[in-house]
Amino acid sequence: MSRLYDVTLRDGNHALRHTLTPEFVADYCAAADKSGVWAVEVGHGNGLGASSYLVGKSFETDHNLLVSARENLKYSKLAVHSIPGFATIERDLAPAIEIGVDVFRVATHVTEATTAEKHIEFLANKDVIVHGVLMMSHMISIDGLIEQARLMKSYGASAVVLMDSAGHFIPMEVYERVDALRNSLEIEVGFHAHNNLGVAISNASTANQAGASIIDGASMGLGAGAGNAQLENIVAYAVKEGKPSFEISEFLGMSQLVEKSFPDNLPRTNSSSIESGLAGVFSGYAPQVKQISQEFGVEVSVLWQEMGKRKLVAGQESMIREIAQDLMNL
Amino acid sequence: MPKKRIPVAILGTGNIGTDLCARLLRDSDFEVVAIVGRRIDSPGLKFFEGKVPNIIPNGLTGLNNISDKFVGVFDATSAFDHLEHWAALKKRSKWMIDLTPSKIGVPIVPELVGKVKAMEMSRDPIANYSMVTCGGQSSAPLLYAMASHATGISEVEVSSSIASLSAGPATRRNIDQYIESTENLVHLLTGCNAVKAILVLNPSDPPVMMRSTVQMKVKTSNLAAIQKEAQAIVLRINRYVPGYQIVVEPHLANPGQISATVKVTGAGYFLPDYAGNLDIINAAAVETARTHALNFPPGLE
Repeated sequence: MSRLYDVTLRDGNHALRHTLTPEFVADYCAAADKSGVWAVEVGHGNGLGASSYLVGKSFETDHNLLVSARENLKYSKLAVHSIPGFATIERDLAPAIEIGVDVFRVATHVTEATTAEKHIEFLANKDVIVHGVLMMSHMISIDGLIEQARLMKSYGASAVVLMDSAGHFIPMEVYERVDALRNSLEIEVGFHAHNNLGVAISNASTANQAGASIIDGASMGLGAGAGNAQLENIVAYAVKEGKPSFEISEFLGMSQLVEKSFPDNLPRTNSSSIESGLAGVFSGYAPQVKQISQEFGVEVSVLWQEMGKRKLVAGQESMIREIAQDLMNL
Repeated sequence: MPKKRIPVAILGTGNIGTDLCARLLRDSDFEVVAIVGRRIDSPGLKFFEGKVPNIIPNGLTGLNNISDKFVGVFDATSAFDHLEHWAALKKRSKWMIDLTPSKIGVPIVPELVGKVKAMEMSRDPIANYSMVTCGGQSSAPLLYAMASHATGISEVEVSSSIASLSAGPATRRNIDQYIESTENLVHLLTGCNAVKAILVLNPSDPPVMMRSTVQMKVKTSNLAAIQKEAQAIVLRINRYVPGYQIVVEPHLANPGQISATVKVTGAGYFLPDYAGNLDIINAAAVETARTHALNFPPGLE
């Protein structure tokens, strides 16, 4: 079994509308630290410095959430997600190093790896682990994916993580991509699933079979849209495969902690998530799509389809209103 | 008798430099005496062979050799290189229009000159004007209109999305400077300290038009006045950026939170119409240079 990368306290913050508190971070980290997960990622759903009107205001500062996590992680590494264009080196990355973050994942839309050059270079020269993340990884050919991963490696990333941000992949597509990366680049590969089509666990497991050594998951699947690959299910799957390198009971404990703390925010696949998954649109838009479809009286499915047609990438929340306006004026 | 044209040079042969050169060649107020790159085989330089008298492939060194031939320089290289360029050209008594996000010069949004404190044309012929960023230029009219008719501004955010194809290598490497320079302008126009700028690159095909959205947290506001003021500035900017328009009118997104979105469609001079982000910053550069140069006509120095 590969290393497990726990995104509950980061991707889960999408499901919580960025209301995560330092208190919950402390409780969850204390539990996760005993589970054997390799890293716990913490912060705003869109990463460091992303708290904004555009993608959602965070109730807490990055600083407070990270300090709380740092105090409660001894064995698992403390990790952050960070997108150039939202975060800057001076305002966000440097302070996070000061707090003691161990793993930095510098993320870009799958075609825009060049925007990560300065950030990855900066981190690669510090005493931290730096990974490159390619978000919305379904929006490029396999050759293109290899080229973008190669760029991130050349800047100094020690691993490249494919994010299925829209929950668009089925297992075969995951296998092809991870396999192609493993065969063409000498770099560790990670995979991050979303469950829009109900196949997140299969995708995570397939990525692992294809050679991905870092597998993302979230307790109770707490994540954007239909949620992530459910962490405790990934472990259960490994147990069934006869690879019980983790203690399932620890993961069930983390799962129960999330379930009882956020009963109203638990993600699930529903008609809206299936629409967005098929359309290949970032799942994190779900709350805005719901709100704007009600405000304008536009069908949720029509809005998702139009967003898919216009190939929206993550971070374009302000376009949803304009698209709804256009649909009304047709 | 034909009037005397303003002799200028252009540093940089990327997206911005080439569009700027094409633009200035059509402008009867200017004479482009040199375009400067770093490689003899640069496509940008090749394109202007026969159109610009001095095609200079060896950077600042080459430009220094003909420094008696021009009065001002447009710098479309990178924030890092601009430091060196300005240091050298200042000594030779040139004015500069900085199209990088370096924050060295006085930030200028042409339509707001004289309306905003600290946004004034230089009284010295040797001057450095910063064009800030495309996000700054495109959001400035909204920021100014909102700030003029609101009280208690406690937070301001500008988020822009641009077509990936319109973001060259320098923009990509300079993304932090883009953010810092845009935030600096937002602070200047609103007086607010809690400012945030965001840039998203969109690779869609067909490419997307640039959009900038402003969000402003305020105590009180007069929406009708804001809409009127913003529309008036947009109309004035339309004289040199015809494809600049408000697509989401200033409205209250939440109580005490004003929001509006502009879209920039390029004029398609040299670059395709999705490069409105380059259009707006280049148009601002030309307007600023014209105003400055007309204040100091050659021969009166």
